[in-house]
Amino acid sequence: MNTDTVYPKVREIIADVLAFDEEEIQRDGSLVEDYSAESIDFLDLVYQLEREFKIKIPRGMIEQEARRGVDEGEFEEHGRLTDKGLEHLRKYLSEVPEDRFTPGMQVSLIPTLFTPETFCKIVIREMEQGERAASD
Amino acid sequence: MFHFVDQILELDPGRHALGIKRVRTDEIFVRLNADGKATLLSCILGEALGQLGAWSVMAAKGFTVRPVAGVVGEVAISGEAAVGDSVLLDTTIDSVTDDAVFYHAAASVGGATVLRLENTLGPLLPMEQFNDPKEMRERFARIRHSGDSAGEPQTGGGTAAPFDLSFDEILSFESCKEATAVRALSGSEAFLRDHFPRKPVLPLSLLLESLLQLGQKLLEDSGSLYVPTGAQKVKMSRFVEPGSSLLAKVQVTERSAENALMKFRCEVNGERVCVGQAEYRAIIGENR
Repeated sequence: MNTDTVYPKVREIIADVLAFDEEEIQRDGSLVEDYSAESIDFLDLVYQLEREFKIKIPRGMIEQEARRGVDEGEFEEHGRLTDKGLEHLRKYLSEVPEDRFTPGMQVSLIPTLFTPETFCKIVIREMEQGERAASD
Repeated sequence: MFHFVDQILELDPGRHALGIKRVRTDEIFVRLNADGKATLLSCILGEALGQLGAWSVMAAKGFTVRPVAGVVGEVAISGEAAVGDSVLLDTTIDSVTDDAVFYHAAASVGGATVLRLENTLGPLLPMEQFNDPKEMRERFARIRHSGDSAGEPQTGGGTAAPFDLSFDEILSFESCKEATAVRALSGSEAFLRDHFPRKPVLPLSLLLESLLQLGQKLLEDSGSLYVPTGAQKVKMSRFVEPGSSLLAKVQVTERSAENALMKFRCEVNGERVCVGQAEYRAIIGENR
């Protein structure tokens, strides 16, 4: 399964949640910067995706997974990403255009990187995990 | 008083609740409808349903968190509750996570649904920021067991002035097209005492009611009157605190002889506070 299969529905949900026309949603657009998404929108979006795809998306999952394999102090310092943390995040959010990662960026600004494709990846991952759990 | 669940009849915490709201003669949030009958503002029915959902989830979470207004996918207004009516409130929680509750609900009078909420989302925040948890537990115990009707009159003896829904100033008004208006929240508004004691903020229900009424004025034309039938995708993204000046923009996007659609957006200091849309039905020439 790849993200193309879920993208049309994810885009439809994102457009609906953020009150845009579907055609206006770019797959690599920043939900925060380009579509003015705020924290309530992310809550709404995650819930709508969970309902549509019958999955559970753990809260804070993106950040937690991006941190995996890196010690706390290595990932961030005083609320800002270290070079190593940034590198790790860049790999994890490989769908996000390179130029949006800025050295020393604040950890609290990680959600500004999320794109529609980020959520497609999450949906696929959780669907596959659900299938694995069901077959165990 | 900004508490609208008089009694909780049945409760399965975090799942389902049934409650009662009695509409009294001395309510602040009553006004005359097109037929001259004193009825409760529709948005207060929505508030009552939200509060019942809040009791259910607060009880399930041991009064450590409380929901606040977030998103209402749909409000469907299909009737009214008049003075003297007992409104049955029925709230079903679809899911609760650590940070939000999702629910749907219906208010009915005499078996007929008067208002429904669908796809409603409330972020859960630490209770202590908004209320004294002990006070909330005590109130819960009162309405859970015997009901709240005996002890506390809704308006402090019927002397309170009806809630003023109008904006302070209409900045622009183009009939049947769009309008902008401002309202300042001074901090002395009575509803702020309960909503919430530790963090007074404008309730979404009252904001929505104001917007619906502004839209109604905007849609009125010679000989025609439109009444709201609902609202969709209503989203509150920030708290409106005392000292804030709220700028509301409403825009008619569709208008026919039968119905109309209006979009709205509210901002404080240029930041989005609330967006959504509302639907109206024309009752042309009636009751005018």
